[in-house]
Amino acid sequence: MTALENPAPPTAARPSVARLLAVLPLLLAAAVGLQVVRDRDRRPFEPPAGMLWFRSGEAVSRMALGYEAILADIYWMRAVVYYGGQRLMTTAPPNYDLLYSLLDLVTTLDPRFNIAYRFGAIFLAEAYPSGPGRPDQAIALLERGIERTGRWEYMHDIGFVYYWWLRDYPKAAEWFQRASEVSGSPAWLQPLAATTLAAGGDRRTSRQIWERMLTDSDTAWLKSNAEFRLMQLDAMDVLDRLNALAQRYADREGRVAQSWQTLGPALGLRGVPVDPTGVPFVINPTTGRISLGSESRLLPLPDEPPPPPALPARPVP
Amino acid sequence: MRTIALVAGAVFKESVRDRVPYSMVAFAVLLIAASYLISQLTAGQDLKIIKDLGLAAISWFGLLIAIFIGIGLVSKEVERRSVFALLSKPLTRGQFILGKYAGLVFTLVVNLSAMTVAFAVVLAYMDAVALPEVRAGWPAPALDPRLLTGVLLTVAELMIVTALALFFSTFSSPLLSALLTFGLWVAGHFNQDLRNFEAVLDVPVMVWLARGLYYLLPNLAPFNVRAEVAHGVDVPTGDVLLTLAYAAVYIAVLLVASIAVFRRRDFK
Amino acid sequence: MPAIEIEELSKDFLTGFWRPRPYRALDRLTLSVDEGEVFGFLGPNGAGKSTTLKLLMQLLYPTSGSARILGRPVGDLAVKQRIGFLPENPYFYDHLTAEELLTYFARLFGLRGAEVAARVGRVLDDVGLGAERRLRLRQYSKGMIQRVGLAQALLNEPDVVFLDEPMSGLDPLGRRHVRQLMLRLRDRGATVFFSSHILSDAESLCSRVGILAQGRLVASGRLSEILAFELRGWDVVVAHLSDELRARLAAHARTITALSHGRYTIELPPEASPEAFLRELADGGAQVVSLNPLRETLEDYFVQSVGAATARETGL
Repeated sequence: MTALENPAPPTAARPSVARLLAVLPLLLAAAVGLQVVRDRDRRPFEPPAGMLWFRSGEAVSRMALGYEAILADIYWMRAVVYYGGQRLMTTAPPNYDLLYSLLDLVTTLDPRFNIAYRFGAIFLAEAYPSGPGRPDQAIALLERGIERTGRWEYMHDIGFVYYWWLRDYPKAAEWFQRASEVSGSPAWLQPLAATTLAAGGDRRTSRQIWERMLTDSDTAWLKSNAEFRLMQLDAMDVLDRLNALAQRYADREGRVAQSWQTLGPALGLRGVPVDPTGVPFVINPTTGRISLGSESRLLPLPDEPPPPPALPARPVP
Repeated sequence: MRTIALVAGAVFKESVRDRVPYSMVAFAVLLIAASYLISQLTAGQDLKIIKDLGLAAISWFGLLIAIFIGIGLVSKEVERRSVFALLSKPLTRGQFILGKYAGLVFTLVVNLSAMTVAFAVVLAYMDAVALPEVRAGWPAPALDPRLLTGVLLTVAELMIVTALALFFSTFSSPLLSALLTFGLWVAGHFNQDLRNFEAVLDVPVMVWLARGLYYLLPNLAPFNVRAEVAHGVDVPTGDVLLTLAYAAVYIAVLLVASIAVFRRRDFK
Repeated sequence: MPAIEIEELSKDFLTGFWRPRPYRALDRLTLSVDEGEVFGFLGPNGAGKSTTLKLLMQLLYPTSGSARILGRPVGDLAVKQRIGFLPENPYFYDHLTAEELLTYFARLFGLRGAEVAARVGRVLDDVGLGAERRLRLRQYSKGMIQRVGLAQALLNEPDVVFLDEPMSGLDPLGRRHVRQLMLRLRDRGATVFFSSHILSDAESLCSRVGILAQGRLVASGRLSEILAFELRGWDVVVAHLSDELRARLAAHARTITALSHGRYTIELPPEASPEAFLRELADGGAQVVSLNPLRETLEDYFVQSVGAATARETGL
């Protein structure tokens, strides 16, 4: 007779549930086991692109019933996680389609959400494949930010997008100039506008922009992004010098140096030179050109446009 | 006056011992405490989310408390007939309603204060553990007095909700009162859109209807300054006073209506 | 001056959702109660007793007619100061204690300071609530709530007390207690107006009664007048009745019914002489267990009146 058929003889005391309690963990273990088996064989369905039910910031704003600020925070967290997740994705090429919509939602719900605009400026415009490569979306986002708040930072950021990603130096200078006209904006915007117009694309100008971003930013990831870019510029400076030296060697010896064993001592270097991240530079044995090691974090280096044709000198205001 | 104070005291004693508002307060406090953990997910926006979440929790749970105590203590009383013995005592039905309202508001304020204190504690902790360079980057201090303005206007909004709940419960059942009150709260937040309807609608009757509803229904959007105070933006004192005055008048309307209904009704 | 005057008081309720129709719960009630009387307001369930009491407390507004208490119209605040009311199936607040509730009510009556605690304590003693008075009301049994209800009705030492089903929910001990309370009220000179459907209580307490059926007052008056107290017969319970004796007695007894264990109950007509009958029984070897006169009870009167009223209504 089982426990069910033969319960303990009736007494006046409260019935014992020991047997029932003993069964519980077994059932739970079975449930967990089944889940493990099920998960092993099937992947949860993931739609090809991410799902965002509400694309319209206006609609969500209306439904927020006074809780816009907290919803903006939630969408912001989602945007950050989404971007980071795609960035780290190894199984498929990253898909940043939703990033703009998410940032748009955040800024529509909370027009003062400063960091979202700046995040968009940096990361929406970043070239594919490490970023979505959508400078147009970045500019659209920033333009709405200017409409709503008139902040000089967003004008500066539009200028930056034109400068760095679109290589449109006259436009960039225009936006830096506009930014400098906003009361309360820092003094370095004016000379930056002038420099951009005169020597846009010049590494020194670019360095200035990034150095400003480094010192002026209060956000950690903005600063580290600027640091990163500056390291790239440093690496490019070093590479230029090294390549110039290697060229002199080649001219002198009549052949290219094929490895550091040859070139190193010739240049008076002790050991293999490394880039700012500590990865050794490599020499291409055929062409003799020095470049970044393939594992270097600094790849891909930003390309530099050819120097602009000489412009007539503009009077500096 | 003394009678109203006596009724208010009894209402406060009864409702402050009820366990449901306590659970709400407990939930809110937990959420506010948890916001500290949630803030780690926000890529540097931790202070902002703590402020947003704290203000939202105070508002949301405050709303639930306002509806619950508002309907629970009149509808329930009428339904369960505890009002019979009370109304045979030397007090008018008007004094009963006003005393009830005063007691409910006091209960609400006590509960909201508890949540605000928890909020202040978490903010103070944030302030204490933050690195100086992070603190320099905050648009407003952690313990920003502007936050109190946000809470104050939330209290005013909830006083209107309590008055609504009281009004509905003078003539309908607890469930219906709760639904109607919640419905009007939602409508109160959509109210701004009624103004825009005028631009969209062509039919004059509809326009008049929209405009009428806009003025008749409680307009609750101005009580929401949570986004501003979380960003450290000043809310003009004039605006605050105007909004509070609106609240006072609207509450007076609801109380007068409640007294009128209550005075005329039969208790079967 | 009569303590309570009710004149042509009527109350219609609207029933039905789609086409509300009036339902007459009380039809032109007219009655008056003098000071110091104990008036029993009797009737079956749904007769309109509670409706009447609520109209007197102004919990309901009349459709027509009027009522006065102590010479002032119902609802007058000065009058409320001097009356007490116990509603039917009372419910108070879950989270207050009996003491707190009564303190609250006492203050509403205008009592202050030390007097409050003294009065509250005394009233709670009177209704028999001891240490329980400090427990929250939600933990009270029905009987305890009824006592609290009585306590709050007597808190202001009222001149007129209105009690709706005061015995409801009480055990026999509690009932006796309440009966004694009501008698003490009468002795103090207060007027007591109570409704009940338990007739034995009325019989022992009231000086006057009114019987309500289907919204109408079908009878009212002094108890002594209503019940003629005429003898209807005798009821004798005997033991050890031999069959032979039984047959002999069957001649002048109305009925002889067997009880258990060889006992019989014999009903005699009023003209019979009980003394002679008892002698006959003793001679026959039977043993007399009890001898009771049969008089018309309030219950008989009640059933008669209500039955007649129902007959009129339904046309039977």
